[in-house]
Amino acid sequence: MARKKVSIIGAGNVGATAAYYVAEKVIADIVLVDVYEGATRAKTLDFLHAGPVRDYDVGIVGSSDIAAVADSDVVVITAGMPRKPGMDRMDLLKVNTDIVKGVSRGITEHAPNAVVIVVTNPLDIMCHVVLRTTGFDLRRVIGMAGILDATRLRYFVADAVGCALADVDAMVLGGHGDQMVPLPRFTTVSGIPITKLLDGATIAKLLDRTRKGGAEIVSYLKTGSAYYAPAAAAAEMVEAVITDRKHVAPCAAFLRGEYGIENLFIGVPVMLGRNGVERIVELKLTEAELGELKASAEAVRQGVADLDTFFSLK
Amino acid sequence: MKRVGIIGSGNVGANTAFFIAENRTAHVTLVDVREGLSTGKTLDMMEAGPIRGYSSRLTGADEIAAISGHDVIILAAGRVRKPGEKRIDLYLDNSKIVTELCGRIRELAPYAVVINVVEPVDSLTLLAQESLGFDRFKVLGVGGILDGTRLRYLVSKAVGVSSREVSGLVIGPHRRTMLALKDTIRVSGVPAAFFLGEERVDALLEEMRGAGDTILDMAQHSTSYWAPSAATARLVHSVVVDTRAVMSVSVRLEGEYGVTGLCVSVPAVIGKDGVQRIVDAGLSDSEQKAFLAATADLRSAVEQEKARRMAR
Repeated sequence: MARKKVSIIGAGNVGATAAYYVAEKVIADIVLVDVYEGATRAKTLDFLHAGPVRDYDVGIVGSSDIAAVADSDVVVITAGMPRKPGMDRMDLLKVNTDIVKGVSRGITEHAPNAVVIVVTNPLDIMCHVVLRTTGFDLRRVIGMAGILDATRLRYFVADAVGCALADVDAMVLGGHGDQMVPLPRFTTVSGIPITKLLDGATIAKLLDRTRKGGAEIVSYLKTGSAYYAPAAAAAEMVEAVITDRKHVAPCAAFLRGEYGIENLFIGVPVMLGRNGVERIVELKLTEAELGELKASAEAVRQGVADLDTFFSLK
Repeated sequence: MKRVGIIGSGNVGANTAFFIAENRTAHVTLVDVREGLSTGKTLDMMEAGPIRGYSSRLTGADEIAAISGHDVIILAAGRVRKPGEKRIDLYLDNSKIVTELCGRIRELAPYAVVINVVEPVDSLTLLAQESLGFDRFKVLGVGGILDGTRLRYLVSKAVGVSSREVSGLVIGPHRRTMLALKDTIRVSGVPAAFFLGEERVDALLEEMRGAGDTILDMAQHSTSYWAPSAATARLVHSVVVDTRAVMSVSVRLEGEYGVTGLCVSVPAVIGKDGVQRIVDAGLSDSEQKAFLAATADLRSAVEQEKARRMAR
């Protein structure tokens, strides 16, 4: 049996680091695709050189040709522009829509059976671009958002409680960004809800820090944004699909009535396996929680409406 | 858990912190004068921690005082090589930084094992050892272990086997005169030449010598950092966990391998005190000759560098 194949589009910090995490799992050969051919090949060679001291032995190839994704089992899209000074939200949306559309066409042609994991921002909207362009079964297009937001919350909780990182689980739903909906009732330390361990004011602070998690890193790095945690989150999704792990975690998935939301990508708990989103887990939410999720969905819907003003498949 | 201080939060320093966390080796304090950079990078890594199951605590700081009392200190500051740059220019810039840092480390972490990754690595490991005044076995440079991992990858690819099966020691200066010990290049104990023939092995050795340059030329604006960080973290792991692994590291020789007063890579047992002992790999006559020629060449470079540094 041939090894599975994972392609990662975009060899910036997030894409390259995700490639590395996947390599260390030793579950698939890896292709890293970026328009910058030299830098991409240099990075893959550097990864290969590290293999013997890191105990991984998978194949890693760098290429500037999207055809290199041929017959991938999973394709991760990280390509896109960060927001530059002077660029408004709509400019960024247009630029990244063009990039993601082009990549999606390549995937449709060369890897028609792949599960696609979307990382490019604005995340929920880019999921729509991929689904529309590829025309893939909607279970095969998944956005990386909730796992990242949740891992940040998990770290903040572990830090506040003073326990090991691995003890903490967290659930964060909704759109990726300010509109995320963290759920303290489903955020636990060894299964104990944090609502029983921390007071309301402390929890509110942790949730607020989670909402601003990405911006906090940017404020320190100044000229860059987070990549270790986003890449780890994306690699976790890749592993769940490649190894058919039936992993339950929050991801952006296309809803058709679940949670009372129609025809929209938004973060909800899903079961990830080899077919992509194998099940959408419908938590019993309180009215307040459901209200927050619906408000978040409306914000995403507004973004999709912006996309509709210029999007065409041509 | 022991504590490792890393000075320099560029690609090599930050990714060494990352690999130490991945290895579950130690707590890490990452320091850089560029304000906020170390805090941002370690926070990002800690946020990956729940997914990756880290048990290390990673902290960033803008002040070197944060490494006070740490068990291992890694020098990863300074700048990297530019394409086509002369070694002497890189040395002059980085030697100033290394001297200053060592002055501080001597007060802040007088019992630490110090690992140098700053290039040119052999010259600056020697300078660090002299500036620190530490026991020579407590000051190590990352040289041969990095060349060795590259060689092992190249051999594994050529034979078509997993790189886990391949051994290969590279000793001598961390420059083109490096010397791979032919007899140690083996696939599950079988000499690589059995699979590839002598000529092919020689061609791979040539490719290994140019590996760092190849990456620099391809990437243009950046040098390799992934393999160097991984190799450094492996070395740190052996010190902190006292694994007594045999690795090729740059260390000041005082008669071993026929060399005195120079830092150059040789196989050594690595443990809690740094180099526990130097291993005599039993060089052939021709290897010994090549080793001495390479170190003589390094010595004249080191002397020139020293003269230029003093004249500055």
